[in-house]
Amino acid sequence: MEFRRIEESIFKALMILSLVFVVGSLLFVVGVILWRGLPVLSFDMVTKTGEGGYLLGKGGGILNAIIGSLYLAAGGTILAFFLSIAIAFYLQKEYSGGTRLSGLTRLSLDILWGTPSIVYGAFGYIVLIYFHIRASLLGGIIVLALLEIPIMTRAMEEVLKMVPGDLKETAYSLGATRFETTLKVVGKQALPGLLTGVLMAFGRGIGDAASILFTAGYTDRIPGSLFDATASLPIAIFSQLSTPLPQVQQKAYASAVILLIIVLAISIITRLLAKKYTRFIIK
Amino acid sequence: MTETQISIQNLNVTYNGNRALKNISVEIPKKQITAIIGPSGCGKSTMLKCMNRLIDMTDNVTFSGKIIIDNEDVFDKKTDIINIRKKLGLLAQKPTPLPMSIYENVAFGPRIHGVKKKPVLDETVQRCLTITGLWEEVKDRLNSPASQLSIGQQQRLCLARGLAVEPEIILCDEPTSALDPVSSQHIEQQLLKLKKDYTIVIVTHNIHQAMRLADYVIHLYLGELVEHGPANDVFENPKEERTRAYINGTMLSDLKIDKEVDLKGNICPYNFVLAKQALHELSKGNVLKLVVDDPLAVTEVPRGMEADGHKIMSVKQINKTDWEIVIQKKE
Repeated sequence: MEFRRIEESIFKALMILSLVFVVGSLLFVVGVILWRGLPVLSFDMVTKTGEGGYLLGKGGGILNAIIGSLYLAAGGTILAFFLSIAIAFYLQKEYSGGTRLSGLTRLSLDILWGTPSIVYGAFGYIVLIYFHIRASLLGGIIVLALLEIPIMTRAMEEVLKMVPGDLKETAYSLGATRFETTLKVVGKQALPGLLTGVLMAFGRGIGDAASILFTAGYTDRIPGSLFDATASLPIAIFSQLSTPLPQVQQKAYASAVILLIIVLAISIITRLLAKKYTRFIIK
Repeated sequence: MTETQISIQNLNVTYNGNRALKNISVEIPKKQITAIIGPSGCGKSTMLKCMNRLIDMTDNVTFSGKIIIDNEDVFDKKTDIINIRKKLGLLAQKPTPLPMSIYENVAFGPRIHGVKKKPVLDETVQRCLTITGLWEEVKDRLNSPASQLSIGQQQRLCLARGLAVEPEIILCDEPTSALDPVSSQHIEQQLLKLKKDYTIVIVTHNIHQAMRLADYVIHLYLGELVEHGPANDVFENPKEERTRAYINGTMLSDLKIDKEVDLKGNICPYNFVLAKQALHELSKGNVLKLVVDDPLAVTEVPRGMEADGHKIMSVKQINKTDWEIVIQKKE
């Protein structure tokens, strides 16, 4: 009897410890970034693009990287969304019938999920060279979409799998076609979860540097078309940190604060949207 | 004789190699309530699922035979399933509101079948909710989520949603088994009202419900059609011994128990001896209820009693440790 109680408290302590460790790490990272970044963060940084020699300590800001990152991540996420939702629905049993092809698709997605993003970058780079295209916004968007697809698809698939079979049967029994059932019933029920999947992928996309290192390039200008090279926040942070100049290095932290705020804002917006639809779902 | 609405001919269904329905042929009369009765797992729900082809959603299932509704064979490849399902409303065991508002739930069917005009939809929603007695309760919150309704209200909403498609037939798969008694009664009353316009097929394992509602009864047992006929004939004068046993068996709850003996704490064979003593004091045909907690007694007492010629009416577990054995003394 006593031993069981000790056992219980040991495991409880372990769980609390892991919680403290995880939340602590997050707070620590955010704290360091805010502490070092906030004092340097200025109005100029978010409203001006880099002037020539920005990385050498000259004036300007990183508006080019902010806009570039938003373009890249939004473009990649939108592209990935259309492909992922189709794959996720296909992977459901009523569509693919649990065939070997669907198993293979799932396996590929899992492997792609685990693939380091620099590999995506290198792959994208080879493709760009093959087609004689320069590093551009379009190249970055495509590579980011590839990076996001496994994450988004697997998240969506799980959500769709959770939709109760009763709901589908109900829709069918009312005479709905498979498409109507999918769109108007399954889609509605899964909507909050699908949004979360999109958010996860967006977060991964906007924070990734390696995949767009070779494919999107870097420039001080805001891209005017899909075929222009574009700057991005992760690479801006990387380049600023790699300079030997302390005043530029500090700006890397300010850039990190901006990146953090963007991710947080998108996260909150998605959650609010999801909440609006959660009202209707059947538990 | 009344008109036939659904004609089932040589229906066979096999799940994973197990035959769930064996050569069923029966005709379901129009604008009456037909109850399909039988113990759990005897193929009642399968039969319903065949009628609206929801059986297609099940894995590893094969079926043969014919189900004719309005001169159309449901199983025929040329038959439009959507059309068949439109004709057959379904009221499931568990209320299944769709993930949308109360209004949209009822409007869902008409909408997918092409009704677009708002006034027409409004009228349909109000009419169907009124039929199921829900209108007064929900008219002020038509736009709130259907999942906020109580379980009983949800089931009536599901009935209204089914009616909105304007079916000819309503299939009910144990429609009250998840509901409280008051809500169940509500649904039953509505079904009785609806039978003047609709053909209703209700699957139930509640024999009392079947007696209250049914005009026609189909008794299935282990996938076989045991007996079918007008409700009065089947309930009062079953032709088949199995039907009689089923009706009597499930009626057990009404059975008068002449003596109750608590044998908890006694082990075998003493509980058997005590049970025999208790039975000895009763007169012929009387019923004795035993409560035992010895696992051995659960099998040995009924076996011994049967060997002595008494009739075991039921053996069931009533809680974690205790079992209830009901014995009728031999005549």
